[in-house]
Amino acid sequence: MSWGKYILGALIVAALVHFAAIFAVPRVLMNVAMERIGAAGANVWHTTGRVTAASRQIVRPSPDFAYSACVFDLSGGPVIITATPWDDYWSLSLYGANSDNFFVIDDREAHYGAEITLVRKGTANPEGASMVVESPSARGIALIRRLAPSPSTYEAAARIAPEDVCASVAQLTN
Amino acid sequence: MLRRILVWIAAIGAGVLLGLVSAWAALQFGGSSFTEHYGHWVHSRAAGSTAAGPYTRAIIARDGLLALSAREAVYFSLYEDDQGRPLSESCIYELNGRPLDARWWSVTLYADDNFLAQNTDNAHSMDASRAGNDAPWNVRISPVRGDATRWVSSREARRGFIVMLRVYNPQRDFRPSEQSLPVLTTISCAGEAS
Repeated sequence: MSWGKYILGALIVAALVHFAAIFAVPRVLMNVAMERIGAAGANVWHTTGRVTAASRQIVRPSPDFAYSACVFDLSGGPVIITATPWDDYWSLSLYGANSDNFFVIDDREAHYGAEITLVRKGTANPEGASMVVESPSARGIALIRRLAPSPSTYEAAARIAPEDVCASVAQLTN
Repeated sequence: MLRRILVWIAAIGAGVLLGLVSAWAALQFGGSSFTEHYGHWVHSRAAGSTAAGPYTRAIIARDGLLALSAREAVYFSLYEDDQGRPLSESCIYELNGRPLDARWWSVTLYADDNFLAQNTDNAHSMDASRAGNDAPWNVRISPVRGDATRWVSSREARRGFIVMLRVYNPQRDFRPSEQSLPVLTTISCAGEAS
């Protein structure tokens, strides 16, 4: 029996599985994060309370930030995302299904808050939208970070978080 | 014929196993290929970047999912003390830093599972708003506060914990170096003669 073809076959399978696993890791981890954050539904902001030792949704959370997270889903059309301004550092960042941070805006650029219209890459931009951002994937995560290292600043940040919007255009027009 | 089929099944099974083990090994031990080192600090400039390669992206997703791109924030991780030993709850450390060319920084301690240590000391981090960013600063990292002015608790962090430095809105001339980043010094370890 010639073992060469079996060894070659095993090596080809190993290479395919290796690259598939490397490719899949960020997507699987993002899916897990989206399942956890978006358990109550997509296109809505979720606040998780101040980060403590019990915060185990996403690795390496910072206890110095007040986080708001939204799983966006563009399958029903564009999604409007707004971030209410904050006295100290804040940012709005968007992550694709492969975990890439494809967009970020902070208070240096948006003193009065941010409002974006998120569309799927390759689709037509909605008319009249002021800031259109193209997402490389249909689903992903939007994250607002507000610097709030003390209990009092966290409470203040938590009070303005309900003013943020994450909703499909269809939701808003209905 | 049956023997040939069985050998093919075994070869494919071995290939799948080898592929998975090699992928795990690449993520476990291959991180150093995609990172920069400044003293004992480890930094991946590709964190959050859309230009990250598949290996970097996978490692970043595992260790720091939802990281920001380098334009917004840069991250440094410390896994070892000044003598190259894993960071341990049984030791007392002092972290000495100088002002950083950035708007804000923080130092946070994570257990080896990448989550905050399971303690209720409410001292998981220290940041520029408390320590200042216009003069040298120091932070004690230890399981009990003692007489420390600024303290990050390592209680229940066990062995192998991580100290993470976040630098937000780095200025254009921010150039990390061993000299500019905070320096960790081991003060003492339980069970060692001082």
